Amino acid sequence: MSNKILLAFIVLIFFSCERSVSEQNGLLFWSSNNNREIEFAKEFTEKWNKEHPNQMVRLQPVPEGQSSEEVILAAVVGKTTPDIYANMWQGSVEMYAKAGVLIALDSLEGFTEFITERCGKETVKEITSSDGHIYQVPWKINPIMTIYNRTFLSKIGTTEVPLTYSEYLAAGEKVKEDSDNDGYIDKWLGYTSVKVIWYERFFNFYSLYIAASDGGSLVKNNKAAFNNEHAVNVFRFLQKLYINQYYSRERLSAAQDPFIAEKVMTKWTGPWEIEHSEKFKTREDFDFDFSPMHVPDDHTGPVYTYADPKNIVIFNTCENPQVAWNFIKTMINREGDKVFLETSGQLPRRQQLEKDSLFSDYFLKNPKVVKFAKQANYVKGVDNCEVIVEVFDIISQEYEACVIYNKKSPEKAIEDAARAVNVLLGNNES
Amino acid sequence: MKKNKWLPYLFVAPYLIHFVVFVAFPVCFSLFLTFHKWNIISPVEFVGTANYSRMFNDRMFWKAILNTLKFLVIHIPLQLIFALALAEFLNQKIKLQGFYRAAFFLPVIVSGVVVTILWQQLLAFDSGIINRLLVNIGFGKVGWLVDPDIAMGSIAVMATWKNVGLYVILFLVGLQTVPPSYYEAAEIEGASHWQKFRHITLPLINPTIFMVVILSTIGGFSLFIEPYIMTGGGPLNSTLSSVLYIYKQAFQYYHMGYSATLGFFFALLILSVIIIQKKYIETND
Repeated sequence: MSNKILLAFIVLIFFSCERSVSEQNGLLFWSSNNNREIEFAKEFTEKWNKEHPNQMVRLQPVPEGQSSEEVILAAVVGKTTPDIYANMWQGSVEMYAKAGVLIALDSLEGFTEFITERCGKETVKEITSSDGHIYQVPWKINPIMTIYNRTFLSKIGTTEVPLTYSEYLAAGEKVKEDSDNDGYIDKWLGYTSVKVIWYERFFNFYSLYIAASDGGSLVKNNKAAFNNEHAVNVFRFLQKLYINQYYSRERLSAAQDPFIAEKVMTKWTGPWEIEHSEKFKTREDFDFDFSPMHVPDDHTGPVYTYADPKNIVIFNTCENPQVAWNFIKTMINREGDKVFLETSGQLPRRQQLEKDSLFSDYFLKNPKVVKFAKQANYVKGVDNCEVIVEVFDIISQEYEACVIYNKKSPEKAIEDAARAVNVLLGNNES
Repeated sequence: MKKNKWLPYLFVAPYLIHFVVFVAFPVCFSLFLTFHKWNIISPVEFVGTANYSRMFNDRMFWKAILNTLKFLVIHIPLQLIFALALAEFLNQKIKLQGFYRAAFFLPVIVSGVVVTILWQQLLAFDSGIINRLLVNIGFGKVGWLVDPDIAMGSIAVMATWKNVGLYVILFLVGLQTVPPSYYEAAEIEGASHWQKFRHITLPLINPTIFMVVILSTIGGFSLFIEPYIMTGGGPLNSTLSSVLYIYKQAFQYYHMGYSATLGFFFALLILSVIIIQKKYIETND
């Protein structure tokens, strides 16, 4: 009797772990679990299924987890990946590509032509993996720019937005204030995270470095490529912000956003800040706008920035990648991009977006987004490097020592970071 | 007959399954990983003792160990002194005794993450309540979490506040096992309060002291949530604990083999410290 119970128990466990047969029909598409993106994905999945009843796509938001990256990693390990995943950070793609779990999309019919036409040659070059193949569909971007408070600007007696390092530093001297006379500054030029965690560098060092170097790389030919005057100047500029007390070293957590609280005049941030600021502003006439990232005084030409790109991939568990690509195409063609922009408020990675008449209605209704759309022509993601997270982490360590605590000169900090990255890349290669 | 043969195994099965799945397998697999390179998604690659040689040359790991030891040096004495003093206080006949006992225990059962975020707010440099109070009474602001020389001390104080309630309970149990007749005899001999505490209480609660030291040491070595949330290991890696570093290697960089090596070495280190403590603290009296 007990044997039978034991056997029944084992059988129950076995079948509970099996994916049901009915679930395996069609392509599985994981969208992000952002409500607006789910709404967008749902609309396109339903439309596709209506037109292609023999090639059904099942939509499922990425399962809940501490982060979507962890969920994807667990799925890869457990071989339970979806066929299509939309929302992968560009920097993660190379690791998965090298592990051989992604489909080389350039092998699919019509892929390269479509992407080149939509995003431009520069983007195609940027997303091409070190092995010469392309494993990601450039999907959406959130370019990093400077948000500034107009009221602050008028208080310091100007309407000119500081755009260069010198102008910004000069504004800092006028903005910083001890309004309650307790001997400590309580109004600053700006705030940017002091956390050492790698991704925080997107919103300060990395965007400024891209701006200063016109889209320069951190890693090139498997070697550190940032030991140059641009990176050193960015570190020096940031260091001055802290030395002169134009920026606070405070590590914010649940405290009120200092920009909304009008304790800081500027912040480096993405287009999500438009809605955030409108929603949480404490007075009706809270007036803000956006300008490009700050650049060295002798900089000329357009100002580049970090794109914060999220892309779409097809996993090798997909039995029909061509159908998956055909489905993805419907989401990222002109019509798809229009619906995406209107539904999510995020920018599709499409060249000359602001000049396309199809999008003009949206931009008329949302004038603040136009600056981001224009900026989208001058953006860069991250280099295709398997250990890019560690590269950012190494830079973060030196950033803290040099910029925040002034324990190292900018030259030494950048040199040490580059040396550590080269050791890492050497180790990684072996 | 058959039924009798399987029944005992069925009864011990929950423990055995738990032991195999959550203890034996992870330990054996970790040991296996120490000789391999593995980033979870790529195939496991044999690297011999490369992880061990890397560990001995990894200055950041040794800094993390040193930071953890710094934390222990501040945290354990603080924990012992405060827990014992509070237990002695709560062992007296005082008003609202039950309330105080519950109040001191409350932080233990509150989520570590919640407590840490609250303390982060209290200790913030510009907006923290403690610094605002200091400025209001004429002192300067203190960089509780932003000054590399102070940050680990701040975390140690916070961790003590969070955990002291548990050790108060343990000491209370210990204190209540001391026979009252010993104190009565000492009183007749004219012993002072301090003499009674020094010569009766302390020797008799030695097993509790030993247990508290061991638990505090193991808990201290596992320092993770506080630096992870409050400082992220900074400023300038001054609060980077060993476990936080191992976590980073494993779940930030996916160096599973290397992090398993660090974990193994760290477990051996804790074992050595506990053996030394056992030798010097535990007495048979």
